[in-house]
Amino acid sequence: MSAAASPMPKPAQEPAPRSGARLLVEALDAQGVEFVFGYPGGAIMPVYDAITSARFKHILVRHEQGAAFAADAYARVTGKPGVCMATSGPGATNLVTGIANAMMDSAPLVCITGNVASPLMGTDAFQEIDILGVTLPIVKHSWIARDPADVPAIVAEAFHVAASGRPGPVLIDLPKDVQIAMTRAPHSFAPPRDPPRRIDPGQLRRAEAAIGLAERPLLYIGGGVRLADAVDEVRAFARATGIPAVSTLQGLGALHADSAAHLGMMGMHGSRAANEAVQACDLLIVLGARFDDRATGKLAEFAPHARVLHIDVDAAEIGKLRAADIAIAGDLKSVLAVLSPRAPNIGAWMERCQRDAAHYAPRYDAPGEGVYAPALLKDLSEAAGDAFVAACDVGQHQMWAAQHCRFASPFAHLTSGGLGAMGYGLPAGLGAKLARPEAHVVTISGDGSFIMNIQELATLKRYGIALKIVLLDNSSLGLVRQWQELFFDKNFSEVDLSDNPDFVAVAQAFGIEAFRISRREEVSAGIARLLAAPGPCLAHVLIDARENVWPLVPPGKSNSDMMHGEP
Amino acid sequence: MTDTFFILIDRSEGSLQRLIGLVERRGFHIDRMNVADAGAHREVRLAVRGRDSGRCVDVLGRQIDRLIGARRVSPAASATYVEEVAVCTA
Repeated sequence: MSAAASPMPKPAQEPAPRSGARLLVEALDAQGVEFVFGYPGGAIMPVYDAITSARFKHILVRHEQGAAFAADAYARVTGKPGVCMATSGPGATNLVTGIANAMMDSAPLVCITGNVASPLMGTDAFQEIDILGVTLPIVKHSWIARDPADVPAIVAEAFHVAASGRPGPVLIDLPKDVQIAMTRAPHSFAPPRDPPRRIDPGQLRRAEAAIGLAERPLLYIGGGVRLADAVDEVRAFARATGIPAVSTLQGLGALHADSAAHLGMMGMHGSRAANEAVQACDLLIVLGARFDDRATGKLAEFAPHARVLHIDVDAAEIGKLRAADIAIAGDLKSVLAVLSPRAPNIGAWMERCQRDAAHYAPRYDAPGEGVYAPALLKDLSEAAGDAFVAACDVGQHQMWAAQHCRFASPFAHLTSGGLGAMGYGLPAGLGAKLARPEAHVVTISGDGSFIMNIQELATLKRYGIALKIVLLDNSSLGLVRQWQELFFDKNFSEVDLSDNPDFVAVAQAFGIEAFRISRREEVSAGIARLLAAPGPCLAHVLIDARENVWPLVPPGKSNSDMMHGEP
Repeated sequence: MTDTFFILIDRSEGSLQRLIGLVERRGFHIDRMNVADAGAHREVRLAVRGRDSGRCVDVLGRQIDRLIGARRVSPAASATYVEEVAVCTA
């Protein structure tokens, strides 16, 4: 054989042979990874064999969904990709909800799965699942490594793809034989680079002209502000132009809650002042947002008098749901740095917006002795101050947190917005507290959501993670119950959870400090005890199941048609 | 009405599924499809039709542009797409 007879020239310094698993660990270390959230199993054992010498710390969760949510939250508070890891088959499928969550909210998440050995793939082998196929609709990109020599480049590209442009989840599937196989191939951990994107100067000038001439302009602030790390730029822009603002669920905190120009959250459970401003404005300046249906209500009647200036890094979001009169596809931070319109003359408009904001401001004087959850959440966030980070679950408590908590920045509010995944709160709080140990990270949960990932109390205990938990317990699936009350003729179907376990006893069984409050007079001492606890601590708060989230735009209705309840 | 895309995609595992899945998931029928080998890439011609009137082919084009390892050759991506957007959502 002539090929064998002519030896390949060898590089001057041939690297020592390494396995695919070893290269993976080295590649993660080269990325500066601090934490990998994971759970071992058969098809990823070579990687777990290699990570005992890793520089990063592996956090053993108790369910892979917890790993994905914890890594997602780590990514949201740091802006760096979060990393989770699972074995093949059920380990991989347990990540799926977390991957979808990261996709919907654009969180940079790197997921690593083991798979059965390459010759067994496609044979329905034990714990074999085509996880690349399963996750295709919910990843930004994905790879199967077929050669250990490819692992460093795949990992470098995966981190780059996850974090660049509009962030999102990526998946690397590693067949077991590739983890084991040795390679001497030279490798580089250097990430690829994107060419800088040009901002269209014509559109910039049109945007500046439109802003300068607007009579009733409004900023519509989305999660893209956090993703672009453009909080300072947005605040400076709002200050310089004097334009009032509304936020989506994911945009909360971008303008300081104390800012007079901020009219609150828009949308289904938004403030009336925010929704009315949107309906009345003549120029809607959309900063990193995507016209989600929970934000817009009935789209055909959304902002009916407004021209739209849409700025987003993702060109595919522009015109997807609402036509843009002026569109700038580009990084928000860079765009705002060069967008300098003259300040519009809008004194009367600002006055009207602020008058509405004062008029429709929430009240906290509900009658009764029981705990009023909105007031508790407001007090909690104010007591924790700028160090407050909320990791919310999904339901009424999530909306109350969004409406009533004070967030110093959008990095302080972690919530499953797009997917609306119950069970996010506890593992997300865990990931956020590891990322920001100095912060007052508080999981705000409900009795329905909490039990979905309750096993992660064991992870808090194992690592001594001083996460604080407020569990608002109305012994029901409150938001579903509310909809049944309002839109299904009070036909309460499968929402009663009055046979919940004793959550204080459950937490204590996991070795977590826990206490219960049920009366309004206990709230301030409860908050103080929770925030002062040196380790993880759960406050079980009994609330009235009849409390609803107000105001509310009924599904399918215009944001002009808000329902108001008591108080 | 049918629109035809001409796209180059890389040969990595899942790339064809990724493209076809995107088109169907975003609300388009695939009326015709042709895949040809082109060295390092595959050439894909896709004739697509919106499943209902709310589907905008220009947005689909930009969603295809987002795929890693795919490059849309025609219709060419527009540098200023504002006019197209206004047409398809009118």
